[in-house]
Amino acid sequence: MLDDMKSMERVMADEDIKITAKGVDVFYADTHAIKEVDVNIQNKAVTAFIGPSGCGKSTFLRCINRMNDTIDICRVTGDILLDGQDIYAKDVDPVQLRARVGMVFQKPNPFPKSIYDNVAYGPKIHGLARNKAELDEIVEKSLRRAAIWDEVKDRLDAPGTGLSGGQQQRLCIGRAIATAPEVLLMDEPCSALDPIATAQIEELIDELRQEFTLVIVTHSMQQAARVSQKTAFFHLGNLVEFGDTDKIFTNPEDPRTESYITGRIG
Amino acid sequence: MFGLTFLAVFVLGAVFYYAARNRAFRLAGDTPQALHSRPNYHGFLAFLLAAIAGIATLVLIWSLWGALIESRYVAHIIEAQPELSPIEVELVLNDARALAEGGIASKTDALRTQIASEIGAQTALHHYGTMALSLLAALGAGLWCLRSAHIGWRARNRSETIVRRLLAMMAVIAVATTAGIVLSLIFETLNFFNNIDWQVHKFLFGTTWSPLSGVQAGKLDPDKVGAIPLFAGTLLITIIAMLVATPIGLFAAIYLSDFAGPKVRAWAKPMLEILAGIPTVVYGFFAAITLAPFLRNSGESIGLPIASESALAAGIVMGIMIIPFISSLSDDVINAVPQSLRDGSYGLGATKAETIRQVVLPAALPGIVSAVLLGISRAVGETMIVVMAAGQGANLTANPLEAVTTVTVQIVMLITGDTEASTAAGPAFTLGFTLFCITLLMNVVAQRIVRKYRELYD
Repeated sequence: MLDDMKSMERVMADEDIKITAKGVDVFYADTHAIKEVDVNIQNKAVTAFIGPSGCGKSTFLRCINRMNDTIDICRVTGDILLDGQDIYAKDVDPVQLRARVGMVFQKPNPFPKSIYDNVAYGPKIHGLARNKAELDEIVEKSLRRAAIWDEVKDRLDAPGTGLSGGQQQRLCIGRAIATAPEVLLMDEPCSALDPIATAQIEELIDELRQEFTLVIVTHSMQQAARVSQKTAFFHLGNLVEFGDTDKIFTNPEDPRTESYITGRIG
Repeated sequence: MFGLTFLAVFVLGAVFYYAARNRAFRLAGDTPQALHSRPNYHGFLAFLLAAIAGIATLVLIWSLWGALIESRYVAHIIEAQPELSPIEVELVLNDARALAEGGIASKTDALRTQIASEIGAQTALHHYGTMALSLLAALGAGLWCLRSAHIGWRARNRSETIVRRLLAMMAVIAVATTAGIVLSLIFETLNFFNNIDWQVHKFLFGTTWSPLSGVQAGKLDPDKVGAIPLFAGTLLITIIAMLVATPIGLFAAIYLSDFAGPKVRAWAKPMLEILAGIPTVVYGFFAAITLAPFLRNSGESIGLPIASESALAAGIVMGIMIIPFISSLSDDVINAVPQSLRDGSYGLGATKAETIRQVVLPAALPGIVSAVLLGISRAVGETMIVVMAAGQGANLTANPLEAVTTVTVQIVMLITGDTEASTAAGPAFTLGFTLFCITLLMNVVAQRIVRKYRELYD
């Protein structure tokens, strides 16, 4: 038993684990939304959460930066470790945690501010820039990394809400990058976008993998197959199967996973 | 009589509804889908036509006939006693009416009794004649509708057209009333300016307001109709009221929408609504009897002279009155800011306070601005509180501790005073018109501001 644990830890170390979840349960009032989930999320890679609607994948994603704290009736038990540190420990401030674990939402939600102010919002709050020049630099760098700089550099004062849906989503990604997070959580980032914008975002996700640990919830299995290295399949609140994306999609172990990816359940 | 006929026309319309509906069923026979319009529409059209024809006839004939016989009485009276003035003729006519109905007349003489008997004879004819005519009209329209109905009868289209016209008529009534009020304001204002020999600048920029002193009827003194003290007083009280209402209302709204738990909300919101339901006259005597003496006494104790009727007391109480308007409107717009924006901000590691200040409030700003402007227009137009607590003297001062007077107070004074109405109405209407122009201007400006922000924030 002890040997087992040791060997597991060795595997984890080998794989360079960023986030570890152990026995995580989530309850919404009386509903048991997530049941005993254990998962290791690899550093500087894309992990995809797939599964049918209502399976709990978004709920679990929101546990990783404690966004569920804003919902009164939600209760989380178990441990989630970020770099070995329990993020639900008493001395962890969710506000600081969220600066390290950024989030991009399903529907693009730029603030009703200029493009510049949208990106500068996080750095200003966390005091990442000492002066205007540094702030300008962060904004430009973030927008470049979000692959939208060339489209907006001449109208940084224009409202962010005036951009197209795909541009808005890339702006939101840039906004999340600007706070210099280590992990980026994306909750179905392409579900409100057309195919061309989706392709741009997927390309961007692939590039961001160089610098960030990404966790992406998606309804599209093709998308998971295209962008992720690891895939976790959720079903009815359980983590059914977790492993390399190639393996999950070509040779799943659990019959439920196979049924889902071949379109028999979902 | 009038009401009875009205009711009868409606009953007739209902009868036609069922008649036309049944006829439609019979027309259709075994193939109800062959009818162009559903039987209910046949019935509805018959009802509409009968009711409209009946009521239109009733109103028209009743009033025209009535006017006709009245003019005959008047001619009769003038013929008998040509020396009477129009008002005296009216008096004779009223006495005659009273006699005819068995009431008490101010005086009974040959002329009055004669007219009374005439009225007795004519009135019955007038009433029954009108009733018969309007019932006939309703009957005719209904029968015409029944006769015209056939398989392809476009009852639905016709009834929808009629309903649309009725709706348009109601809209016209609303707009026309507004136009009528504005026109009468303008007319009286021009009259007043004519009365002061078109020295409009003396009204707009003069600093002495005492329009009726030494005037019983006729000409006003242009040097005593300067409205500046009134507008200054209104402005002063409005500013005090908004200084009280805006921060309290807005912060209460922020607390209620983003910080308060459901339990606190459940009782705090209704409490605020109750504040809005208190009649302004209650606020008025609260200001005059409770707050003003309290302010005066506390002023005295620190050596500050505060008048017992002061702009401060009126303004504070007016501000309390406006709090619920601002808080409830702001609460609505703050709640309308989508949760996704808040999530976006929290997701970047912003605290609740940062999120509210930098994301929620800017997004809700247009609504908050319009809430504040609505509050200002209420403050400007508010009367009861200032009548009781602000004073009546037209005192040009910026000191909130002194008594001031407002435009609305002076309108009340003018209209309820014992000067002849035709003289007092001029300045009152002119003040009202000026107030109307100011509020209108403010609303236009507010809407422009709101639209500008909306373009930015949508």
